[in-house]
Order: sequence, then structure tokens, then C-alpha cells
Amino acid sequence: MSLTKITDKAGLHRHLEAAIQLEHATIPPYLNALYSIKPGTNTEAFHILRAVAVEEMLHLTLAANILNAVGGTPDLTVPGFVPLYPAYLPDGETDFQVDCQAFSRAAIETFLKIERPAEGATPGVDTIHKGRKRAHHNGHKRHGTAVRARHVPGHEEEHFYSIGEFYQAIEEGLERLHAEMGDALFSGDPARQITPEYYYSAGGGLMAVTDLASAKAAIRLISEQGEGVTDNIFDYEGEIAHYYRFEQLLLGRYYQKGDARGRPTGREVAVDWDAVFPIKANARIADFPEGSALRQGAEEFNRAYGDFLSLLTRAFQGEPALFVEAVGGMFQLKELYYQIMRQPLGDGTHAAPTYEIPHG
Amino acid sequence: MTTSGKDPALTSFEAVAGQEFDVVIVGSGVSGAVIAKQLGARGCRVLVLEAGSGNEITVADYEESVQRFYGSQRKDNNSAYANPRNAPMPRDYETRRLQPGASNTDGYLVQMGPLEIDSTYTRVLGGTTRHWEGKALRMLPDDFRMRSLFGQGRDWPLAYSDLDAHYRAAERELGVAGDVEDQQYGGLDFGPGYVLPMRKMPLSYLDRMIARDLDGMEVTLAGETFPLKVRSTPQARNGVPNPAYDEGRGYKPVGAVSTHQEDKGERCQGNTNCVPICPVQAKYDARRTLYAALETGNVQLLAWSVASRLEVDGATGQVSQLEFKTYDHPDAPGHRVGHVRAKVFVLAANAVENARLMLASDLPGSSNLVGRNLMDHMYLLTWALMPRPAGALRGPICTAGIEDIRTGAYRRHHAAVRYSIHNDGWGWATGSPYSDLEHLVEHENRFGAALRQGLIDRVSRQFLLDCMIEVLPDESNRISVDPRWVDQMGNPRPVISFGATPYTLETAAFSRRLSRRIFQRLGAEDHTHYDPLAPGYVTHDGEGYVLRGGNHWAGTHIMGTSARDSVVDSTQRSWDHPNLYLAGAGSMASIGTANTTLTLAALCFRTADAILAGLGTHAPAATTTGARA
Amino acid sequence: MADMLDGFLALSEALTGFTGHRLRGTGQAEAYLTTATGIVGGGVMRDLLLAAEEARASAGGDAAKHEAELRRLIMSDDRLGPVARNIIRMWYVGSWYQLPKAWREAHGQSPRDQDHVVSPISYTEGLLWPAIGANPAGAKPAGYGMWAMPPRIAPG
Repeated sequence: MSLTKITDKAGLHRHLEAAIQLEHATIPPYLNALYSIKPGTNTEAFHILRAVAVEEMLHLTLAANILNAVGGTPDLTVPGFVPLYPAYLPDGETDFQVDCQAFSRAAIETFLKIERPAEGATPGVDTIHKGRKRAHHNGHKRHGTAVRARHVPGHEEEHFYSIGEFYQAIEEGLERLHAEMGDALFSGDPARQITPEYYYSAGGGLMAVTDLASAKAAIRLISEQGEGVTDNIFDYEGEIAHYYRFEQLLLGRYYQKGDARGRPTGREVAVDWDAVFPIKANARIADFPEGSALRQGAEEFNRAYGDFLSLLTRAFQGEPALFVEAVGGMFQLKELYYQIMRQPLGDGTHAAPTYEIPHG
Repeated sequence: MTTSGKDPALTSFEAVAGQEFDVVIVGSGVSGAVIAKQLGARGCRVLVLEAGSGNEITVADYEESVQRFYGSQRKDNNSAYANPRNAPMPRDYETRRLQPGASNTDGYLVQMGPLEIDSTYTRVLGGTTRHWEGKALRMLPDDFRMRSLFGQGRDWPLAYSDLDAHYRAAERELGVAGDVEDQQYGGLDFGPGYVLPMRKMPLSYLDRMIARDLDGMEVTLAGETFPLKVRSTPQARNGVPNPAYDEGRGYKPVGAVSTHQEDKGERCQGNTNCVPICPVQAKYDARRTLYAALETGNVQLLAWSVASRLEVDGATGQVSQLEFKTYDHPDAPGHRVGHVRAKVFVLAANAVENARLMLASDLPGSSNLVGRNLMDHMYLLTWALMPRPAGALRGPICTAGIEDIRTGAYRRHHAAVRYSIHNDGWGWATGSPYSDLEHLVEHENRFGAALRQGLIDRVSRQFLLDCMIEVLPDESNRISVDPRWVDQMGNPRPVISFGATPYTLETAAFSRRLSRRIFQRLGAEDHTHYDPLAPGYVTHDGEGYVLRGGNHWAGTHIMGTSARDSVVDSTQRSWDHPNLYLAGAGSMASIGTANTTLTLAALCFRTADAILAGLGTHAPAATTTGARA
Repeated sequence: MADMLDGFLALSEALTGFTGHRLRGTGQAEAYLTTATGIVGGGVMRDLLLAAEEARASAGGDAAKHEAELRRLIMSDDRLGPVARNIIRMWYVGSWYQLPKAWREAHGQSPRDQDHVVSPISYTEGLLWPAIGANPAGAKPAGYGMWAMPPRIAPG
């Protein structure tokens, strides 16, 4: 999907649809890494990854709340919603692709890119793109991604260096449109909001979005939990940003308050990079023998994953009570992950979910 | 819970021995933790002694307990916890049927009978709240006036209304999930507009199935008619915060005890394992309060240290110092003996251990009531198969119960009772589902698809109704010590003498009859049976029952209005020793039909207030920081 | 041991009623084969797997016949039956149970032949719970509030 500067409600909807797609796009890579950790090992790494994955679910839901608030219709079932990995992130970050791979240093390094702070905020990150890119689409070929282009000819296409900057553009768009339209911007049915009673994690709650203030609060929560927009490792609630959570795994030590970036001084984080199912990166159904039980299992996973997205969509489209069941669906999926990831493929790697979601 | 990322330091024998504190607290369970937190927050220098491990403050350590539970063949209620030989704890399977006049000295508890009681407690950081189920019911106003209203048991020296504010403090501290509207029975009064911190746990599929057919069924007792209703059970388990709590300020659930970034401690996920360990720390345990106490900077924790003797000044009755024994290895013999002094001492080691320590210190009390009036709830279990799969073995262990006959005029004649619907099948009664698997494989000779179907028919339909029966204080039910029976460190072991009275047994018989009616109404297949060889087997009017302990030890330092007829006053202060408080369920003058934890936590808030008032200007608020070793 | 694994899984499918994919998905097949073989000996295990193969072959895809053959060749056999029943229980709850006294006296004793949980994870991978749409106590929860819904009892 191509993004151009938000000038009207349709543009805002497109950005928020991309935001939902973006939040979701991080979940399969995180979950593949999370569940590739052999159960009972790497406890601390497991919890760090799980905490982030849970919060991505929260961000996805917040993005859906914002879209609902401004009269859009979240739909996680459209073909192409789930990218084929490796994939570029749907906010137009073009300098890296995201793999679905086993828990490893390489996986964590990719996660650092996903959660990287706004350009310039972190030393040591290779900055290919300076500042926020607003360039005409240069025909850059996006390998493997299933994100469908909705290029609007003649408009400047936006690319963002970080998720934080992407949300900043949404916030600016919201403010611009609100200045033009006033509260008419928030024309969505409040009954569609997923309210805190359906979800919270230790890292912060869900909020209903009904006006500019709550929309901005939702964006702030997403941005701060991700990479931190305030240049601080810990946010104002004392929570550590995803970027730094992941970095602890590479640095082998916990951050504590007062630490400088890159130099955590807390307790050691013991990581056993070998206690991992060696799952095949970016696996496809075609990698599994035709007619095999494994292939059936992988197809069952994809159906179950599709069912999960359908249930979420229904929850976002006016049946919020289904959200509880959708979250329950994630707990069920966990078992299917393990059932697949424990199966050797005979080439030294193990099977992995493929996220080729059947439609129709 | 996200925090500074710093591990709270435990203090050491060397740092503590010979020192003086404002307050020394024995035990890190909910009683000790509540008092430590309240005092620490007001600047008192507090030392908490814990007999068990101190290595339980981080999530990684907690995981070890979860793994220990997974790997235990016997999944009893202490199976998640290391059982050090230097500070052993009771295990329910150590209880066995006694021949008349015989005793059982096999386990940590010495059981003299006549009734064998399979109750336990946990000697570990956070105490028995580590394995408690989390039910957080208030006692009823009537329960505090048993003698005046029903001519039975004893009155408390305080009324329900005197405890209301402390109940609220306890409900906040424990993070109780429940709906006040479901608690409108038996004279329970929460005050106008009050809501609990979190909304009730959703009722289970089984609860709903039962409610549909049972609600409205009438029971007549002593001329009073009670319509039954399935009601949600308040419980100290993270759920959905109620935005109306605290006059609209809402409630922020407390997550896992952790020094690092964690997602644990969020909402209950339905692990069906509140006892012995919630793997995600959704359930309250006292480490949460203890952690907050340590965070005040004024509270120190000395683990692996068993309080062994209180020394009293003969002239004033004041406790002058406490002797304790610190061990280096949990199991190997060997320990060091130290002493600490304090302005105030608090025993908060539970009703059994408090009494044991007093008696080991030759302090039976001027009333001679220390260790006496031992109470515990007696549980009669009844079980049946629902007409179709009911989703057993899912959710928190209990989400609902039948509360309507918790009080009434019938209490002049027999004990009060409440009922819990169990989501965890028949496990407590029969060892299910392991026993069912054994039966299907070894006796019904099933395998393959027939075995799977057999499990659906036999396990998913399980419904266990526990009948929680009140026990009155009775001086002949008691804890004592005897030099013949000591543990490895030389500390006397608790000796238990306990029997059930007709007052209790009559309610067991009534409850069995009522459970039959309930099963008849539900069309459930009654599988209840009581094995005459099982511990806890009793007969009443020619019928046999098995009574199980509730782990709600109480009464051993009973509260009253004078030194003549009680051990402590209404603030839990010892009548005989003005600088000694005996905290916990041991102070309770009756236990009604509420699990003891919420009430004892409320009492401990009251006690903390009394200690603070007593220390008065002596509380050295300035000497607060830097006290941690 | 590796050469026995496929046979062990085929036997286990018939005994448990779960598919090989589902059994492999527990990650416990090797651990159970090792545990059982370590206690009853390679000879008994090989004979058990041979009997299972014979039952499969003579049934020729007829489920009722397969069951009858398993009963004839394995379940009613003094030497193989108790081992097969123990394998079932291991898959279902992750524990090994001590073999009957008569078996131990006739076919040999092992110090490992005591009631024990094979490993902490084998408990959590027990199939009893998924068989009834539940979770083993303390593991694999279904998520907040899911207990309010009817159990999902699925085949497979």
C-alpha cells in the first residue's frame, strides 16, 4: 500500500489501515521467535519476547479503536493483510525486510530495526535514510511482500524510517483534519470500541477512542511502548521500551533506571541461543511433503490463524464481546505452534507456521 | 510489575544478630507482610524473619517452583515448594487413619487424633498464600456474635462494623475481584456505593449449567426457608479492574513480583492451578505486599531463619529478645543461634507455628489458652457426573458457590455451611483425573478412540461440590509441644489433638442430604462415597462421612475481652506481654464460613495501626533509609 | 533407538487414539520410548513393536480388526499388555507407573520402575487434557474468561 500525506478522511483511513497491518505484521515474526524457544528454557528471553508480543496485540487493538473512532472499518481478513515473509513493513521502511525465523541474534537484530527509535535518537543504528522520506515511488521492488499497492498517481509517497515517525504522521493528520472538521471527525460508533474490560497487560491498558485527546493518548501509548519517543529507556510510567527490552538480550544484561543507552547495569540476562527449535526461516506449505500429516498440521494452523483474524475482525466490527474469545484463540494457537515446530524436516531444520492464510 | 530493576537485598545473620529494631516480625506470610508494609511506610525499622527460603522474590525463582510442581508425581498443595529439613512443612499425604489411642509421628505434624486432619501450611516466603486458592469472602456480621445470637462458641471483642474499614484495606491490598451485588445475603453489608477493586471472575460454564437448574430451589432449616442461588465468589485474583472503585479513581492491578520487566501477573488465564501455584502470578500472594514493604527501605528480611524462643522479662512481662536459628543448607544439619531485640515483637507465623513458638518458649499464657481452641473448616466433599460434558478442569478452581445458608437461626443447633462449585473436577476427592485414567485403562480395558470417549464421559462431566463447615472453638482441640518430638534443629514439632463435635457433624449430615437433592435436581449421577479406612472418617447417626481439613488453622491465641478468657485483645496484642502481638487467624474467636485470609489480613491492618499508635513519638521516622543490608 | 521410533509412534497412535502428527507435536516421543525401553529392556520393547506391526498388517486397514488384533497380541499378553498400558498412561499424563508385581517377578526389575513424572514438560504435554478440551493444571491455559464457554472437544 502506498501512503501519501493525510489530507482527507480517506487518507487517514488508509494510514490507520496500514497501522493495523503494520502492528499485525510484527506479530508472526515475534511469535515464531518466541515459540521456537524450547519450553522451560530461556525463561527470561521468553518473557521479554512474550511481553512485547502481547503489547503488539494491544497496539493492534488501539489502532483499530482509532480507525473505528474516525468512521473506518477494520478488516483483518482482506487478502494480503498478512504478508508473506520475508516482508517489508507496511509503513514503507525500505532498508530492511522482516524474516519469520527462530530465536537468534539475527532475529533480535531485526526486531531492533522494527522497534528502532526515530532517526538520530540512537547511536549505532545504520541510518540509510535520513529523516522522513517523502519521495516519488522509485519503482523499488518489494520482494516477497503481499502488501497490495494502492498507489495514488501524482502524489508524493511517504516512507518512514521508524514506526514512531509513521504514527507521528498519523497524529499530525488527525490534528489537521480535526482543525478542519472539528469533532465531526470522530463519527464512528462508540459501541465498536474495544474497552479496557476486554484487555490489559501489565504494560498498560487499552483505551476507548472517542475524541482527539483519546486518539492522541492511544498513539502516545503505542509509540512509547515501541521504541520510546522521549529519548528515554523507560517511559513516564516506568516501563521499558521494546527496543531496549530486545537490546538486553544481545547485551546480556538488564537495564535499570539511570542507565545510559547501550550500557545496561542490571542483573545478567542468561540467554541460551542453542535451546531453540531450529525452525526453517520463512517456511512455506510447499516445504512440507504433499499429503504428509505435517502439511495437514501446517494447513490447520493457517486455517486457525485465519479464524483468529476473522474473530478479531468481527470484534472490531461491532461485536466487542468476541474479543475475549479472540484472545483465547491466541492461547490455542500457541499449542499449534509447538506441535509444528517440534517436527524435524530432515534437513537439520524444523517446520514452522507459514501464515499462508486461506481465503474464501 | 516494572520496577527499578534492582533486586531487593536480603539481610544476613551477621548483620542482624545482636541488633535492635523497632519491630521484629516472625513470618513473611500475609499477616507479617501487611504489618511490615504498614510500619515500613511510616518509618519504623522492621526485621522480618522467614523460616523458609528467601530466594522467591524474582520471577526466575518463581519459575523454579512452577517446574517443581510440574515434575512432582504427587501434586499435593505443597508440591511446588522445597521442603527444607531444617524448617519442614506438613504434607497432606502424611495424614493417615489412626487406630484409637494411637498417634502418627511420621510427618512434621504429630497427630494425636481422634480426628486425623490433613490440613497443611507452607513455610516459604509469602507463607501459605503461596498455595491458597484466593477465595476472599468476608465473614458475616452474625459470625462475630455467636454466643449472643446462637448461644454457641464465643463472641468477638469487636463487631463486624468495627472491621469494615480494615476489610476494605484488605480488599485493596489483596486485589479482590467480585461483585458486591452478588454478596447480598446473610446480613453482609459493604456500605453504600462500595465496589470491589475488580469485577467478578466470569462464572464457569459448569456454574452456569448448574445455576440454570438450581437457582430458586428452596431449603428449609429450623423453620426458615432459604432460596438457593449460584453466586460469584470474591477472590484475590487479577481480573478486570472496576472503574467505579475508589469513588471513580479505579484500581490498578498489581502484577507479578518481579525486579525486571515482566508481562506476568496480568489477568487470570484459567490455569486451574490456584492451588498449589498460579504459574502466571495472577493470584495474590503475600510476596506482593512483602515486596512493597521492602521497597519502603525500612524493612529487612532475614530468610532461612527459624524463630526458636521468646525471652520474657519476669518483672514486666515484656519480651526482651527473640532467639532464632539460621541455617546455611536447607537439609544438612547445622545452624547458628542469634538474638534480636525490639520495641515490639509480632508473631505472624500462622496459628500453628505461633502457638508452637509460644509453648516452646514456656509461655502458655495466664489463661492457659495458648494453643487451645484450635479451629479449621471441615470440608465434606460430594461429587457427581453432570448429564453431559460440563467443561471440567478449566478456569480458576472455583468461580461460584452457594452462600444463602451461611447463617440463620439453625446455628443454635448445628454449624453454618457454604458450598463451592469446583471447576477442577473430582481431584480433591478422588485423585481425578489420574484415577479416572487408571480406571479406564487398567479396569475398563480401553485404549484408542474408546479411551478418549471414556475420558470425555467420565472427566469432562465431573462436578464436585465442597461443603465448608464451621467449627467452633473448643479448648480440647489444641496444639501442644512435647520434648519427645523435635525437628532436626531441635525445635519442638506441633502436636495436634483434634476432634469433630456433633454441632459440626450434624451439618455434615445435612449437607450430604442437600447435595443429594441438588444432584437430583440437576439430573447428575451421584458418585459420592466415603471410605471407612480414609483419614477423617467419622460416623454420625449411623452414617459415615470423610471430613477433610481446610488449611484454615485458627483460634490458638484466641481474642477476647480479658486475660482470663483469652490470649490477645482486639488489636491482637498479648494480654500478658504488652510488647507482643500474636497476629493471624490464631486470634480469631470464630471462623464462620469464610476462608480466613481476608479477615486475618483485615485484623493485621488494625494491628499495624495499634503498633504505630503504641510506638507513638518513639517511631524514629528519620532513621529510615540505608537500613537495608 | 531411532530405528524404533517410527514403530513406537505407530503403536502409540493405536493405543492413544491421537494421530502421529499430534503425538510428535508433543515432543515427547523419544523421551517415552527411552523411558519405557530403559525400564522393560530392549527385548520386550522390540517384541511389543513387532506385535504391533503384526496387528497392523493382519488388520489390513480394518479398524475393528486392528483393535481385535491389538487385544489378542498385546493387551491380553502377560508380558506386553502391562507395558502397553503404561505407554498409554505416559502419553496421557506424562508419568511412568510402576509395573504390576507379577510382571516384575516374571520379567525383570529396574530401579527406574517407580512412579515418576518423566520430566516437567512431559506433564504439561499430557494428552488427557486436550482430549477433553481442557488444560493440564498449571499449564497451557485457555485465556481469561474462556472457562465460561463450552469445552472445545476436538478430534485429532
